[in-house]
Amino acid sequence: MAAPFVFGALLLVVLPAFLSFALAFVQYDALSPPTWRGIENFAVIFRREVFWIALRNTLVFAFSAAPLQALGALMIALLLHPERRGVRVHRAAVYLTSVLPDVAYALIWLWLLNPLYGPINLTLAWLGLPTPAWLVDPRTALASLVIVAAVRVGEGMLLLIAAWRTAPDSIYDAAQIDGADRLRTFWHITLPWLAPWLLLLLIRDLVMAIHSSLTPVILMTGGGPGYATTLLPFLMYEEAFTHLRLGEAAAMMVVVFALIGPPIGLAGWLTRRWWREDAA
Amino acid sequence: MQRRKTPQRASGAATAVKPMQALSAPFGSTALQRIVRLWRRKRIGRLLRHVLAWSVAALYAAPLLWLLVASLQPVGQPPPRTLAWFPQGVAWSNYLEIFRVAPLGRQIGNSLLVSVAGALITLLTASWAGFAMSRLPASSRRWLVGLALLLMLIPSSAVWLPRYVLFSGMGLLDSYAALVAPALLGTRSLLALMYYWSFHRISCEIYDSASLDGAGVWALWRRIALPLARPTTLAVAVLAFTHYWSDFVDPLLFLKSTQRFTIAVGLRMLQQMDATNWPLLMAAVVVMVAPVLVLYLLLQIILDKDASLHLRSSRLWRDAPIHLQLSAGSRTKEERR
Repeated sequence: MAAPFVFGALLLVVLPAFLSFALAFVQYDALSPPTWRGIENFAVIFRREVFWIALRNTLVFAFSAAPLQALGALMIALLLHPERRGVRVHRAAVYLTSVLPDVAYALIWLWLLNPLYGPINLTLAWLGLPTPAWLVDPRTALASLVIVAAVRVGEGMLLLIAAWRTAPDSIYDAAQIDGADRLRTFWHITLPWLAPWLLLLLIRDLVMAIHSSLTPVILMTGGGPGYATTLLPFLMYEEAFTHLRLGEAAAMMVVVFALIGPPIGLAGWLTRRWWREDAA
Repeated sequence: MQRRKTPQRASGAATAVKPMQALSAPFGSTALQRIVRLWRRKRIGRLLRHVLAWSVAALYAAPLLWLLVASLQPVGQPPPRTLAWFPQGVAWSNYLEIFRVAPLGRQIGNSLLVSVAGALITLLTASWAGFAMSRLPASSRRWLVGLALLLMLIPSSAVWLPRYVLFSGMGLLDSYAALVAPALLGTRSLLALMYYWSFHRISCEIYDSASLDGAGVWALWRRIALPLARPTTLAVAVLAFTHYWSDFVDPLLFLKSTQRFTIAVGLRMLQQMDATNWPLLMAAVVVMVAPVLVLYLLLQIILDKDASLHLRSSRLWRDAPIHLQLSAGSRTKEERR
């Protein structure tokens, strides 16, 4: 009964993963048959300045968005953890942001961040604060994308609340008997309990930040202004479908794999360890 | 702790002549002070949390409110340059207009087709995979669960390029088959795992007695496992449906002819047609977002009811998948502060 699942996994994930490595070494435009090109694809992309800009942007984006997202999830989980009247409404409000379709989310933010008419700048102007041009200004464009990505903490919040709930009451009772105050209880009990989950969340956010960046970049900035928000997935998309250089796009994909491979491996190793412990 | 003690000591030192006496203040007064302090601290802390929680919720709800306001702004008027919490002149006609300006009706139909097909196939494949995981011997189970966990770590958006090449080789480009293909592996392996977690809790004796009555694997799956996992089915259906409804990258890459476009790429078409016509674009966004929000809220309400009926005092409650636990709330553990 698992046949469709295994077949699907092989056909849609495992085979494509190998295929992308093969593609990285050929010249292919999706029209004529591929021809062998060796490592020339890599040499070509490494020689292009855009690639290095995109790589830098991708790293800056992922390594600022993911920690912010994890931290935000932790803070909001702390705030919305206790069961109280109305807490479901709060959680739902936070969570709904994360279930919005990516397209809708990007377009909503495009409106919110509109430099002239957008509600955010109107609010800032009303408060007498400076009103940056957000996505239009090359200095703030990437930061704006980071904010847009980091605000979505719904799943992380739910994960942390659920993980917190698995902590046994007894250690909290013991802490209370020992007279630990709230801060110490948090620092010595809650945080260590949540630490593995936080780490997994961070790694997941890191990987997802890179991969889910394509939609917002396409819809909100188109990689601009200049190359300020050109991230690797967007550059790959451009290479493959605008310039029909699938081989070079695949070479970039291999670079992305090399970037996210170690964190994925680490996450896999960690979950397997914990899975074992749980099963035992 | 340290800080709170200082004022007491300071006031004692100021009034008392003998320092020793000051430090050991009258027993009654400190106790009273402490009670007052506790009362105040708790009340203020609680109030602060409440205010913070509501402001976070409001902050997250604000974009949706602004979305609605923007979608009701009359077209053709210059947008207001001051902050508007209510639209100036409500133009419900925007919602009719978008269906005339863009082929939104057809796109919604296409999206519905893809999403319903995807969700139905997902229900089959995910529940089969979950059932297999729960019934297989430990060695092959570990292998299968490991595969599912591994797949969870590799986002499907990581492999769109080779998938494109693969689909073009199979002649699946510009067809809905390319969009629905991920349903083969249960859309996201999380969904198969959700089934596994809920089937896992069904005791073997039920299966054994049914097998004695001559029920085969398929009968066990359909007559016993599925009915017992109804909340999971509901959650999986909603998650799968919204996945296909929201999917943007796949239709962007795999669809060529505009009449096959789903609403996700339709929104981009609308954006490219007239990037400055915010009211219409936002109205279209509302149309796309509404079903997703309604489905999630419905799911939460239904699972709430179901959970309070069946799962509340369950011993295995903690093993329930996160989605179920969270939507059901944690009534099992009250107030840990």
